[in-house]
Amino acid sequence: MKTYELQDVSTPNLLEETFPYTLPPLIKFEGKIKETIDGKEVEFDPNEVKTRDIHITDTTFRDGQQARPPYKQEHMVALFEMMSRLGGPNGVIRQSEFFLYTKNDRATIDACRARNLKFPEITGWIRANKGDFRLVKEMGLKETGMLTSSSDYHIFHKQNQTRKEAMQQYVEVVEAAFEAGVRPRCHLEDITRADLPGFVFPFVQKLERLSEQVPAHMKVKIRLCDTMGFGLSYPNAAEPRSIPKMIWRLRNECGISADRLEWHGHNDFHKVHINGASAWIYGLNALNGTLFGFGERTGNPPLEGAVIEYVALKGKLNGVNLSVITEMAEYYEKVIGTTLTANYPFVGKDFNTTRAGIHAGGLRKFEQIYNIFDTTTLLNRPPRVAITDKSGTDGVALWVNDFLGLQGEERLTVMKVAKIQRWVMDQYEKEGRMSSITDQEMEEQVKVFLPEYYQSHRKN
Amino acid sequence: MTREEVAARVVGVTAQLFAMKPSDIKESDQFTVDLGADSLKSIELVAAYEDEFGLSVKEEEALKVQNVGDAIDFFHRLLK
Repeated sequence: MKTYELQDVSTPNLLEETFPYTLPPLIKFEGKIKETIDGKEVEFDPNEVKTRDIHITDTTFRDGQQARPPYKQEHMVALFEMMSRLGGPNGVIRQSEFFLYTKNDRATIDACRARNLKFPEITGWIRANKGDFRLVKEMGLKETGMLTSSSDYHIFHKQNQTRKEAMQQYVEVVEAAFEAGVRPRCHLEDITRADLPGFVFPFVQKLERLSEQVPAHMKVKIRLCDTMGFGLSYPNAAEPRSIPKMIWRLRNECGISADRLEWHGHNDFHKVHINGASAWIYGLNALNGTLFGFGERTGNPPLEGAVIEYVALKGKLNGVNLSVITEMAEYYEKVIGTTLTANYPFVGKDFNTTRAGIHAGGLRKFEQIYNIFDTTTLLNRPPRVAITDKSGTDGVALWVNDFLGLQGEERLTVMKVAKIQRWVMDQYEKEGRMSSITDQEMEEQVKVFLPEYYQSHRKN
Repeated sequence: MTREEVAARVVGVTAQLFAMKPSDIKESDQFTVDLGADSLKSIELVAAYEDEFGLSVKEEEALKVQNVGDAIDFFHRLLK
């Protein structure tokens, strides 16, 4: 057994090389990851992700829109523009896919194009039939996704086809795309429940043979669609659910490079974000997500979560503007009218709001104790306290000081806010209140008990 | 201000806050154990002393004061 001796240091070790606070906590790896495939050990180097061109692709307006009332065109154009600013000039958010079926779908694409933004690039989404492909040609898109379902659940029970018939149909549409100069992106629907050696790998190898006839920028891309959220990121999980094994075989046995592979997940088992991030680590470049995770049933990888993960993996912003995440959340709430869950990470009303007095005390003494990173600078969201009977005088002091905008030595002590805290406690102990104290009520108490500070605040 | 003068005012404020007679307050009385103060009451007490003497005190130091005698000494020292 190894013995550890207490190191009684004079200054705290805040582990700032991992928790810089000026950025989200960094993700670091020590050594390679081993996986057993066909009885042999293969290695993945997770540090490769630092230099590989990982990026995010968006499906807010396709999968994201399947799970909610349709967006108005003005909403989509505004979100598209914000997405461009969020992802920055280096295209961290590289592409966004759109439906093409209705006149409104196509008018929205035209309106987004009219913004003349470099990123995200606009791509389409169609079913794999030639009739649908006509729409892609008419819109003049350079790339389109196409539904190429890969499990027997879909092939036999939804499409009423044999595997051979399904594959033939998919291949014909891919060939039509090549002929029209449109890059095909095959969406291998339900891949984590598919017969990989019996259908998926032969199909992908066929696509690879077809791709040998076209220039590099036209080669087929493969989207791995974990349609029901069955994918597993655990080392040595069995196929077909294993994400590491799937990516390894596609790269090493089917010859598909990282830049042509994309992960698209669903959250049915609460694994949506970690599966997407793991797919990056295990060797593909594109992680497909939607704003705030809206998507079919339980949703898709949250796009804003993927952006934070990107920064944590790369250790730098690379042009990303994280404060746009807050702007987008406000737009959803105020303009679109969709309320985001209060405790939803990074954007919910309460994501960095503490209620417990003991936490508020910590936050008041040293913000970093109970704030995940500098949310004020990066997200334009200062940490807050919600006032209840559990907030304590520390919580009230923090709320009042933040409300008055007082800094350093100016900040009021707990003694100065004691009367407000007494009013708060009376609400619960004497009035039998059950709900939190609102910001408006707190402001009223500041006006009553700290009138000179309130007046000064109003003037400023 | 002499210690006796400070003591009379500290005892007066303490008695008022705990609704007691000044004669019932002893210097050895601990705020929490003997007078039954919870954390908010302790803070209110320091706030009341601040008002009485027209002072603003440092939170960490003030909240270390545990009994009436400590409070008298603390404010006597500040008022010297």
